[in-house]
Amino acid sequence: MAAYHVVLIHFPIALWMVSSLCIFIRAFDDGVLGQAMDRALPVFLVLGVIMGAIAYLVGLSVWPWETLSSTPLGRNHMLMASWSLAYFTLLAFIRYRHGPAIWQGLSRWIMFLLAGIGVVLVGITGTLGGHLVGNYTEVSELLRRFGWEVYTTYYLPDLTLAIIGVVTLVLLAIGLLGRNRSTTG
Amino acid sequence: MQNIKLTGAFALFSGALLVSWVTHGTGVVRDDPERNISIPDTLTVPLQVQASYNDQDIFFRYRWPSASMGIFHDILRYEDGSWITEGGGMPGPNPFGVHEDRVAMMLDDGSVPEFGRYGGYITIGDGLAGLTDEAPEEVTKYLPMTRNTLGQWDDMAPDSELAQLRSAGYFLDLWHWRGARSNPVNEADDQNVGAGRDGDAGEASYTTNWDSDISQPRVMFDIASAGYRALNWDDVQAGRVSQEQTYALIADAAVPYDPDAGWQNGDLLPRRVIRPGASSRGDIRAEGRWADGYWDVTLARALDTGNPVDDKILQDLGTYDVAFAIHRNATGGRWHYVSLPFSLGLAREADIMATRFIGTMPQWSDTWSDVTLFYPGQVTWPSLNSAVHGGASSIADRVPVRARHSPEQLAYYGVEHEFRTEIRRQWLMTLLAGILLIGAFGVALNATIVSRKGA
Repeated sequence: MAAYHVVLIHFPIALWMVSSLCIFIRAFDDGVLGQAMDRALPVFLVLGVIMGAIAYLVGLSVWPWETLSSTPLGRNHMLMASWSLAYFTLLAFIRYRHGPAIWQGLSRWIMFLLAGIGVVLVGITGTLGGHLVGNYTEVSELLRRFGWEVYTTYYLPDLTLAIIGVVTLVLLAIGLLGRNRSTTG
Repeated sequence: MQNIKLTGAFALFSGALLVSWVTHGTGVVRDDPERNISIPDTLTVPLQVQASYNDQDIFFRYRWPSASMGIFHDILRYEDGSWITEGGGMPGPNPFGVHEDRVAMMLDDGSVPEFGRYGGYITIGDGLAGLTDEAPEEVTKYLPMTRNTLGQWDDMAPDSELAQLRSAGYFLDLWHWRGARSNPVNEADDQNVGAGRDGDAGEASYTTNWDSDISQPRVMFDIASAGYRALNWDDVQAGRVSQEQTYALIADAAVPYDPDAGWQNGDLLPRRVIRPGASSRGDIRAEGRWADGYWDVTLARALDTGNPVDDKILQDLGTYDVAFAIHRNATGGRWHYVSLPFSLGLAREADIMATRFIGTMPQWSDTWSDVTLFYPGQVTWPSLNSAVHGGASSIADRVPVRARHSPEQLAYYGVEHEFRTEIRRQWLMTLLAGILLIGAFGVALNATIVSRKGA
């Protein structure tokens, strides 16, 4: 299945990268080009999520779970792929749910920053996938200089997991409070 | 207000990502002597190698950094009327800094083809001494075919098959230079790896300086030649004993132990008596000097020792496989640094080319072959051929390790393998935590943008 995964993964990578490009352009351009980018954006995002999910599932069958979960590069690839898929699902949902309203005020720049994070996530995922099949790039050297040796598993200590748990709860609270106010308003 | 919430949600999300980035990879890897785990501070060490040969002998020269000079192995320390043994092997460095430095080289002539592809990894079977899952009895390095089943250290092949394998050359020659137990008599320990890591036929260059019947050392220094009956524990620990003075108990220079010699607390005697190795085990000559933070060791052996079931016989224009290892910083057992396999050519193109010379001693040049040694962790040959290794199929396809892995990469993998259960758990929790964080951020983002839309 490895060959199929390699073929399939090009689709979400391309779609997500183009989606991010659309967001970058739209964030700076309210004109015809920006409007055109925004109209295409939900299509690219949704297709990217669908193709990403398919490629992800095929990727899970490349190695047995025992192998995937025991190999540092395999673990890292799966972790980043999972986060990338979840992340672009979030972007797709937000754009689909709120339409052009996301370009109003501050949220436009939030979208800009989120697209940047998405590009980094997908870039790292692709880099790790390349390492797994023996195609190395200098991106791993860049990550190394920023503090992550890609040949070591990306995992967090319990304290950081607890901090993320608290942040998750606070974010949920912000969401629920915001929803209530919106509903009551 | 909504802008504040939106900004706050984004700040929390990106802040969590930042904390994740800064703290990742911590909290799991730590020394655990109960499980035979001690991770060295430095994972790779450079080694330089040269080789040269004449009609009779081949010479190898090794040079590697070592902050201290490990010329003592286990020792006997006098305290309050009794002799206490110090300097034994343990996970990681000996806390007193006493355990000998070593350099070792495994050598093959192609009779063990897996060695040329995977080096010393093939000798690390399950159950080896020093592993977390070590066998109840001491098991040393062994080659895979000496067992009926991969991973079964006690499932030995029949004796007749072992003998046949040996005569077919299925063993590795092991040149093992020891800073305390062989260098003082200018030798290296000539060993081999087959069904176990064994000495060649004959006698080792060391015996034990302890008479267990009367619980006292057998010999001591000769005050007439050495200037003292014993060394001093504080001097040894502080590295104040040099190679220029008498530091080893050489069998024909030591004198019988005198229990009435007025022993003082802190007196120290080596727990080993050193003598020239006998027969095939004494085939390798050595000269090792430590200076300015580096060991410089030269080993020499006859191209043809006449012991083909103990040694790999070398020939002019032949090519061979070699792999190296060192011990430093008072470590023993598996706490060494090892190399990937290299090809050795006698006047033939290879990773390490031995140059031909005329005369009795080579004139070494400044041209070295650079080798990166790495800490190998507890990666065993059965595990490399199992489902926990993504490259198991590549091994089955005979893809050499160097085509896939660098020494640095293998060092990281070695460490991770020692904590594979803990790291897998943390990794899974990290993966889930990240997805939950993204989901929660989506909820917050959705609500704050909704409010703007509605406003």
